Amino acid sequence: MCRHALILLPLVVATLELAGYLIGRTSSVVLLALLAFIIVLAPKGCRLGDWKKALRSALICLVGALASFLLANNLDLGPLMASAVVGLLGTVVLKEKDQLVVYLGTFIGMSSALRFPTLSLVVLAGLTGGILWEMLSETWNGVGGRLGTVAATAVLIVLLAFGGGLQ
Amino acid sequence: MTLILSIVLGLLTGFFGHTLRQRTQLSTVAVSSLLTLLAALALPRIFTDGNQYALVCAAVSYVTMSSTERLAKVWETLTVSLFCSVLVYYGQDVLMGIGGRLGTFAALAVLAFTVPRAHRKLFKKGVRT
Repeated sequence: MCRHALILLPLVVATLELAGYLIGRTSSVVLLALLAFIIVLAPKGCRLGDWKKALRSALICLVGALASFLLANNLDLGPLMASAVVGLLGTVVLKEKDQLVVYLGTFIGMSSALRFPTLSLVVLAGLTGGILWEMLSETWNGVGGRLGTVAATAVLIVLLAFGGGLQ
Repeated sequence: MTLILSIVLGLLTGFFGHTLRQRTQLSTVAVSSLLTLLAALALPRIFTDGNQYALVCAAVSYVTMSSTERLAKVWETLTVSLFCSVLVYYGQDVLMGIGGRLGTFAALAVLAFTVPRAHRKLFKKGVRT
């Protein structure tokens, strides 16, 4: 339940947006409280097995996120091309499992600069993404788009917690 | 951006992604990023709404990252590619600026196809739960 609650967060937010409900600062607190409640209520599924592995994934994801965000915004490559270039570079230098983590990071880096006005938010989202990747390793296996959903979850958690919501 | 062209480009991306996955030794990340890069480079030069079409192709390239257990045959990938193209087309205003949004659409399309198939017993006539 805990894992599903986490990975379904982007879909919940999308549904709220479709219903015309923009999530502001107050709603962020409510959503985060709900998330915390679920994690406290059913913490078993959300335990991290190996912290060293999680830290490694968090750092790889952070590199992907920062590289993609900087390429997209500072070199004006645009988010799609930035993500693809970093992803391709990852396939040249990294093992297959790490390629997935760096690609996850590039999805986080595809966020708009309006959502992430400072690099510290990108750093936080990158680290969160890597930790979520390890936490949700058994969820939605083999489903294309899983990396993107985990990335969206990480971005939303950071935006809801530190970015003042989605308005 | 037109829905028909989005679907056609989505189907083409799905077909090429599936073929590359089956016929080459390229990793899932390599296939997806190659398709995304090609779409991002070519489509804005061909169409006025090329950037929007590139988004559709990128989302479908994430669909092709599915395992062969989930999407084994080309018609399965094409069906999900169609779902995904429609989702991206109608979801243009959803999760704006959130990284991972296209992947979320892709995952939704894959799940919309694979979950009912995995539980098809529930939909058969005469089966009671």
